[in-house]
Amino acid sequence: MRIVVTILAVAALASVPLWLRDPYLLNALITTGIFVIGAMSLNLLLGFTGQLSLGHIAFFGIGAYVSALTSLGFDVGLPGGFRVVHEPWPPIIGLVFAILAAGLCGYFVGLLSFRVRGAYFVIVTISFAEVVRLVALNWVELTQGPLALTNIPSIALPLPGFGELTLRTKMQNYYLVLVVALIAYLLIARLVRSHFGRAMRGLMENETLAVSVGIDVTRTLTLAAVISAAIAGAAGSLYAHYIRIIDPEVFAFINTVTMVIMVISGGKGSLAGPVVGGLIFGLLPVALRPVMAPEAQWIAYGGVLMAILFVLPRGIVPSLAQRLTKRRSSTAALALTETGIEERA
Amino acid sequence: MTRALGLVGTIALATALFGGTAGAQTIKIGVNEPLTGAFAASGTYVVNGAKIAADEINAKGGVLGKKIELVIEDNKSNPTEAAAVAEKLITSDKVPVLMGAWGSSLTLAVMPKLMEYETPMVVETSSSGKITTTGNPFIFRISPPSAVEAAAFKGIVDKLALKKVDFLVINNDWGRGTAEDFSKMMKDKGITIGLVETMDQGAQDMSAQLSKIKSSDSETVIVTTAVDQLTLIFKQAAALGLKKRIITTGGSQNPDQIIAQAGAAANGTMHLTTFLPWFPDKTPNPEATNYFITEWKKRGFEFAGCTESFRGYDGIRTAAAAIEKAGKAEPAAIKAALWDINIKGLNGDIVFRKSGPEGKESGQSQPNVYLIEINDGKVEMKTL
Amino acid sequence: MALSEFLQHLVNMLVLGGTYALLGIGLTLIFGIMNVVNFTHGVLYTFGAYIMFIVVQQLGLNFFLALPVAVLAGWLLGAAIELTLLRPLRGSDIDTTMLVMIGAWIAMQSGTLWIWGGVAKSVTTPFPEAPLVLGPVSVSWLRLFVLAAAALLIVVTYLLINKTSLGRAMRATFQDHDTASLMGVNVDMIYTSTFAIGSSLAAAAGALLGPVYVIFPQMGDLAAVKAFAIVILGGLGNITGAVIGGFILALAEELGAGYVSSGYRDAMGFLIIIAVLIFKPTGLFARAERVG
Repeated sequence: MRIVVTILAVAALASVPLWLRDPYLLNALITTGIFVIGAMSLNLLLGFTGQLSLGHIAFFGIGAYVSALTSLGFDVGLPGGFRVVHEPWPPIIGLVFAILAAGLCGYFVGLLSFRVRGAYFVIVTISFAEVVRLVALNWVELTQGPLALTNIPSIALPLPGFGELTLRTKMQNYYLVLVVALIAYLLIARLVRSHFGRAMRGLMENETLAVSVGIDVTRTLTLAAVISAAIAGAAGSLYAHYIRIIDPEVFAFINTVTMVIMVISGGKGSLAGPVVGGLIFGLLPVALRPVMAPEAQWIAYGGVLMAILFVLPRGIVPSLAQRLTKRRSSTAALALTETGIEERA
Repeated sequence: MTRALGLVGTIALATALFGGTAGAQTIKIGVNEPLTGAFAASGTYVVNGAKIAADEINAKGGVLGKKIELVIEDNKSNPTEAAAVAEKLITSDKVPVLMGAWGSSLTLAVMPKLMEYETPMVVETSSSGKITTTGNPFIFRISPPSAVEAAAFKGIVDKLALKKVDFLVINNDWGRGTAEDFSKMMKDKGITIGLVETMDQGAQDMSAQLSKIKSSDSETVIVTTAVDQLTLIFKQAAALGLKKRIITTGGSQNPDQIIAQAGAAANGTMHLTTFLPWFPDKTPNPEATNYFITEWKKRGFEFAGCTESFRGYDGIRTAAAAIEKAGKAEPAAIKAALWDINIKGLNGDIVFRKSGPEGKESGQSQPNVYLIEINDGKVEMKTL
Repeated sequence: MALSEFLQHLVNMLVLGGTYALLGIGLTLIFGIMNVVNFTHGVLYTFGAYIMFIVVQQLGLNFFLALPVAVLAGWLLGAAIELTLLRPLRGSDIDTTMLVMIGAWIAMQSGTLWIWGGVAKSVTTPFPEAPLVLGPVSVSWLRLFVLAAAALLIVVTYLLINKTSLGRAMRATFQDHDTASLMGVNVDMIYTSTFAIGSSLAAAAGALLGPVYVIFPQMGDLAAVKAFAIVILGGLGNITGAVIGGFILALAEELGAGYVSSGYRDAMGFLIIIAVLIFKPTGLFARAERVG
């Protein structure tokens, strides 16, 4: 059942560029898709370990910067008179470095998350993102600071025997984002259903019990943070090579808020949640643009967010799934009573 | 709830898909400006100026016998959105030319889209040098990059007898670029550069930076930022008893707003500006300036907005002139025509010169730069 | 020379710290007692500033009259937010309420932009423009007034929490709201009062600082970030901690900008937070252990 829905959804998403000819909408889908990947990674942390990171954009931004700098090259002086000079490398290597660098940062934040929880963890992550933003803003020699990194090359896929394929068109980028999203989705799904996933959930539900049955808290939280950050870094890399310019504003708090909205409205702890929430809140601004004034669009955006939380407090996917199963089981119960068999469904 | 959302989505989709085909009776110009977010105030001013230009042109019969229609979109002060908006304007609304996108990072984000769809854009505000030096032949800029401003200031520095200057600049491309270009120019003139202090875009308290500057041994401070922070700096400098000559750059000063809000604290400050709405007769095009100012006041906008909005007015007139010259509303023809136009802007002749790598040069116009001084709550032109 | 600069930084720290403290105490009350990460704090700050603008500039009324009006307006708006948005969600997890607060923040800030536009407003004050000069340092009269008013509000809040029956009930709710409820405390009423008081303090901070700075729709964002930093430094729900936290943050920023680099001025606060949370996760002056 679930696998059928998943395959249908993927097929539907894969067919989009074949019938949607409007480049503007395709562009909106690509940027939304990139943020959905970020939201999925956030969900791994928030939905399955219960740790709310409000600095998640830091990993995304670090991924974007590392990938851009790898493919653009840099020449930077370090304390003690050393210079690091780096020649431009292919963007695909940038993607790999982005994943590694973001994952490494995730490791440190993960260590921290063992010490501080709840509201404190929220603030630590906000602070972390702000510090990273300020470094990106002020380390002008490396990041060009507010002058922005420009002319970032598009991603090129090495095709053995055929040279390279540079992904320039919307359709190519759409499929690239879709494939990366799919890989991230499958990775998270596999992780959640593994022994490790059970450990994470056990930890979230009852930490004392989880510890007593031998779950290594630090290791579990750290690993979740590393994987989550690495996926966010991959999303950041896609962003850098698609938009082709990044400046420190990529670390803006509103970008984290966008991802959190995608996760919680869609349903945290549900694999499909961030995808559904992400598509709604990624495309909502596109839908609102032609029908109301710019300020009103933001008011409506905030209003829709509040409305979803009031009507479906657990998020769209879990709430709807629950309603669906309830209806099904109640019809089943009805059928059973009609045939005269007294049994509780 | 979900159904309502779906409905909104469908309507939007329909508008996006079919909206672009209607209205062949008008010639569209895309306007990509920040109307919400951090730069909302400035973006709105520029759009208001643009509307005055469009109404004026239409009242005189439009271009090529058709009325011009501004398609105005909000880029939310966000580079990702600025790129998306450019995409929408070009592909859905089918505009043959754009104006935008205020901030340099917003403009830089739009630039790959211009290459992709081969559509020209008139850049009205952005100051980053990168915009015209990275080889994007679809960029035509009417605002001065900081290097041009520094070059214009070069003739004035001797008369001001500067010896040592500190900088206090906004920490973005504009402020950093100004500090860099002005330092270079001043070093050539034998002027010593002291502190270079920065402030964050949204910062409200600059006392720490100003205290540091107060204790330095320079006699002049060059300040670059938008009007709100300038007002705060003048007030806070006065409160700290900072008695140095302050010169602001960048042309976004709105001296009237500074006088209204900073009061006596603004007295004695000097400003490098690109437009003189106080002295219409001294501008290169007095007739147009008078018309613009009268119209601006008639529409009930604050006079202080003039120094920002005139760029929107000039930007649209530039685009319209190019369409007229091209003889047809097509991107390639407009791009070619932009090289040939010569119109009297509110701050000098708008003529594009080549800038950037050979073969794919961007266009850069050279606007005038003026030095004004505030004395007893009034704007005076510095004649040097 | 260097000494006079240092003294000036200290004076700056004092006036800045007072306003930071005022920003922090409203948030720490709501955070500590209700366990709500209040993202509307910055908007209420902005709201207070605009009330000041309306009363003084548009209605032409007295500057000193505008302050209590702003406090009252903040109280009413806070109560309204609590009753319509938070009370129906009582019992939901912290993420849901936080996200609802984010929604309210986005909607209200855009509403401000819609009503008043993005152009910054300023308020004329009855204070002389010439500063008070004391030897090598100088400070504006307006900021001294703000410091005094902030101190007064902080003392009033302190007395309210520690000397009144409402305050006793609030403290009981802070310790353990189930027990407080069993002992006859109307927890719903306490929550509404807490949120309203916290909001009125935010509005008061905005009304006091609006005339010092300029008033525009996004002015609350940076203020809110600083308020969070202060609350973390001081420990949740700890008023004294928030006051000290405000001064520590101001000192770090002043010295950071003065002697390290002005580009990293705002980083100082965040670095302190990270350091505090690593080495003393419950804040510098925590008196109650409560996490999450």
